[in-house]
Amino acid sequence: MRSIWVAARVIREISRDRRTLAFFFLAPIIIMTLVYYAIKDDQIAKIGVVTRGAARFFEMEFLNTLENDKDVRIVNLSISDEETDPQTLNRMIRKELAAGRVDGVLYMSEQMLNERFAGNEGTLHLYVEGSKPIVTSAVFGAIADAMDELAASLPVVIDSSCSSLCAESVNNKPMELKKHYLYGDDDYRTVDFFLPVLPAFFVFFFTFILSTITFQRERLRGTLERLLVAPVGFYQVIAGYVMGFFIFASLQSIIVVVYILKLIQFQFTWRQTMAFAVVILLTMLVALNLGLLASFLAHNEFQALQFIPLVILPQIFLADIIWDINGFPMFFQIISKLFPLTHANAAARDIMIRGNPLSNSWMELLILAGFIAIVFTVMSLVAHKKDKSI
Amino acid sequence: MSAAAPTPEYILKLDSVVKSFGDFTAIKGVSLTIPGKMIFGLLGPNGSGKTTMLRMITGLISPTSGVVTLMGGLNPFSTEAKSQIGYMPQNLAVYQNLSVVENLQFFGRIYGMEEKPLKERIDEVLEIIELADRRNETLANLSGGMVRRALLGTALVHRPKLLLLDEPTAGVDPVLRIKIWDTLRKLCGEGTGILITTHHISEAYRCDRVVFIRAGSIIADGPPAQLISKYGGRDLEEAFVVATHGEESAAL
Repeated sequence: MRSIWVAARVIREISRDRRTLAFFFLAPIIIMTLVYYAIKDDQIAKIGVVTRGAARFFEMEFLNTLENDKDVRIVNLSISDEETDPQTLNRMIRKELAAGRVDGVLYMSEQMLNERFAGNEGTLHLYVEGSKPIVTSAVFGAIADAMDELAASLPVVIDSSCSSLCAESVNNKPMELKKHYLYGDDDYRTVDFFLPVLPAFFVFFFTFILSTITFQRERLRGTLERLLVAPVGFYQVIAGYVMGFFIFASLQSIIVVVYILKLIQFQFTWRQTMAFAVVILLTMLVALNLGLLASFLAHNEFQALQFIPLVILPQIFLADIIWDINGFPMFFQIISKLFPLTHANAAARDIMIRGNPLSNSWMELLILAGFIAIVFTVMSLVAHKKDKSI
Repeated sequence: MSAAAPTPEYILKLDSVVKSFGDFTAIKGVSLTIPGKMIFGLLGPNGSGKTTMLRMITGLISPTSGVVTLMGGLNPFSTEAKSQIGYMPQNLAVYQNLSVVENLQFFGRIYGMEEKPLKERIDEVLEIIELADRRNETLANLSGGMVRRALLGTALVHRPKLLLLDEPTAGVDPVLRIKIWDTLRKLCGEGTGILITTHHISEAYRCDRVVFIRAGSIIADGPPAQLISKYGGRDLEEAFVVATHGEESAAL
């Protein structure tokens, strides 16, 4: 019977904490939804096709084959049909890939048909963006399937020296596929895609936890009140916290970054590393301010603890860390823009994988700075409300 | 702080102070002047408004109406006023992972003390709070009484002119209680004004002047002996009960 009284007390106490109840029942639903969308479909590959000369006659057939593949979306490229110079075409295709309008472009030249007619394999050119290994392999998969059918449908010239058996063998001869990577190469691994975003994630995760818990303790223990009674401004306290955490977060960033660069075994320039450090620093400042905000919003340590999965879990799914956000419904794609890690990851990949300068990510950096300003302002307002007027 | 500053006519003055939180009025028009160099007791039951008054005096919150001034005319929110106040809260608001000296150093620096005078002052404070031999010990390793003494030390390390103590002896054993009072009496003798909130009648005996507060209003004000004779009780406890609940309840 006494156990029942204990149970009744536990039930009563938990049911009075609405925030805990909401967390307890809603969190699994939200996470299951995210997992569902994350792994529901195979990766969709956006593919464009460029044909020139007599190869144009086979474009429709090739496109039809590709369209039957549900994991492929055909994209119309903004490349003029008049353009035939291979060099210019090469440049234009790369431009389309760099702009992210398409993941892979298949280029069939007249040359390919000529080679084929001469009894050779014939070379197809496949351009891929290359920085996203899952997307790249989806492009390869779709193109390989379509190529088999294309080879069978191409005309062959049979001269007197070639028997029907010979013609059969030419027809079934697979074409050669020459791959052109905009970023990376054949050795580029899936892990190389993920590693550059891990430092930002870890720094965000641990800075958030550390600042939430430490500041919560400062508040509950009453030392924050003592600081505010002393001739110290609220902003001086916050600035002190930022500087204090900065040391640890910086050390952590250095350790994580150095270790990951060793793992990736890529060659990084100093410029890349410094640009990467700027992204990590901004990420840390967002996490720090978010942590302080969470500690002010929480009434107790338990509630402070709940903020950790609340802030971290959705970002694992939606911030382009492992799963491509383009596979999620539009609603989640919009939500993902509201997460700081989405922007930190975009900048980190642009710098580390594509080797672009920091200035190329100015928009992402600006958004991260905006996050810092907004969270800091909200945090200050909440802090004043909580600690100045009780 | 200049040594030549004239002695202010009071260290704390509340003039018709009202503090409301929504519909609830916690302080209902309190006027009070503490001239300084005395131990002043704010005596009242739980929820009577003592802590709210302390929070207004320390500049954590502002009164809804009325004026709080310190040291002869300073606004409690001003840096000048804040640097002359020492505050010892009821809970153990010190850093458990720092040593006694590190805590004293931190609070001294926060109050803007120079390193050399601070070092000398820390030695003095360690003598006052009798923790000189445990100076480098982390607070987490000290007993509750020692931590409370360290807390007192952090409140007086910057030589405040006004020391505010919120229930300083709550949950403290009799030996430490006597020690704390001896320390306070000594500080008062050296010129520090001390304001203590308490709901223990026995504490109020030791004050030079006591104010009874109930439901946000002052109901009696004077030296302990004077209050006993005024309200006709045998001791301060009865005087307090009579003052707060009327004579009938005292007879019970």
